[in-house]
Amino acid sequence: MAVDYDPAIIGRVFETTDPLPVTAEMVKNFCSAIGESNPIHIDAEAAKKGPYGGITAPPSFAVTFRNGQHFFQHVPRYGKQGFDAGKDVEFVGPIRPGDAISLSSHVKEIYEKTGRTGSMVFVIVRSTLTNQNGEVVAHVDHKFMNRT
Amino acid sequence: MAENKSDLTFESVKIGDPLGPSEFHLSKDQVRAYARTTGMWVPRFTDDEAARKEGLPGMITPGNMSLAILSKLVTDWIGASGAQLTRMGTTYRQPVLPDHAITLQGFVTDKNESNHTAEMDIWLENEDGERLVIGTATVHFPR
Repeated sequence: MAVDYDPAIIGRVFETTDPLPVTAEMVKNFCSAIGESNPIHIDAEAAKKGPYGGITAPPSFAVTFRNGQHFFQHVPRYGKQGFDAGKDVEFVGPIRPGDAISLSSHVKEIYEKTGRTGSMVFVIVRSTLTNQNGEVVAHVDHKFMNRT
Repeated sequence: MAENKSDLTFESVKIGDPLGPSEFHLSKDQVRAYARTTGMWVPRFTDDEAARKEGLPGMITPGNMSLAILSKLVTDWIGASGAQLTRMGTTYRQPVLPDHAITLQGFVTDKNESNHTAEMDIWLENEDGERLVIGTATVHFPR
């Protein structure tokens, strides 16, 4: 079950993005789209009394950051079809309106799996999100699945 | 879900405790709103006809939106208790089609005394009870 790839790709940071600004409107629209009504995410007055002393984005906002345009060129591809097979996320700290988030990404793992529908190769890319103060706010493992 | 959850504590949580079920109609407009605000405005998430040309049964819900509404299932359960969602893993097994009823639910599978955390299984299922998105989550409770 060996997958053919250059082992040197594992762990190499192949991209760091410019900081992406988080605006109050982005957080508000995100909450509206997912039906989030918790005041700590939408009401500045109520959020002041909350655990972070101000509005924070819902945890799942961490997966909305896109990797930069060069990202996919560096991810090995197998077969014809690629799918987003899921995400594993560690929520480390809050993301707030006014933050600027940088992403640093590397290939964490490549493995093959045989399922009901045939052989699949999984490429796991880990993105680490860091805010403008150098604090890590989340790790997001993107699971790309390729059918061979 | 009207119950006040602010009294949820590590001690009060028991293995087998349910999350949800939360059942609702996921509209196409809601999926388009998500796609618009997260920069995922591509035909497969916004337009039935264009999605069919890609071989899909119709427009589908972005996997990340399923992750977001599943994480809300957990944070709604946490409520104002002061606990934190610290980890979540999801697998997007099958496309989630909007304009259908979906159900979100889960249950507590384990507790870890030394970390003061609870583990849970969570999933999103369609009207036929098929689990389209499955996952696990970890919630940390303050001491």
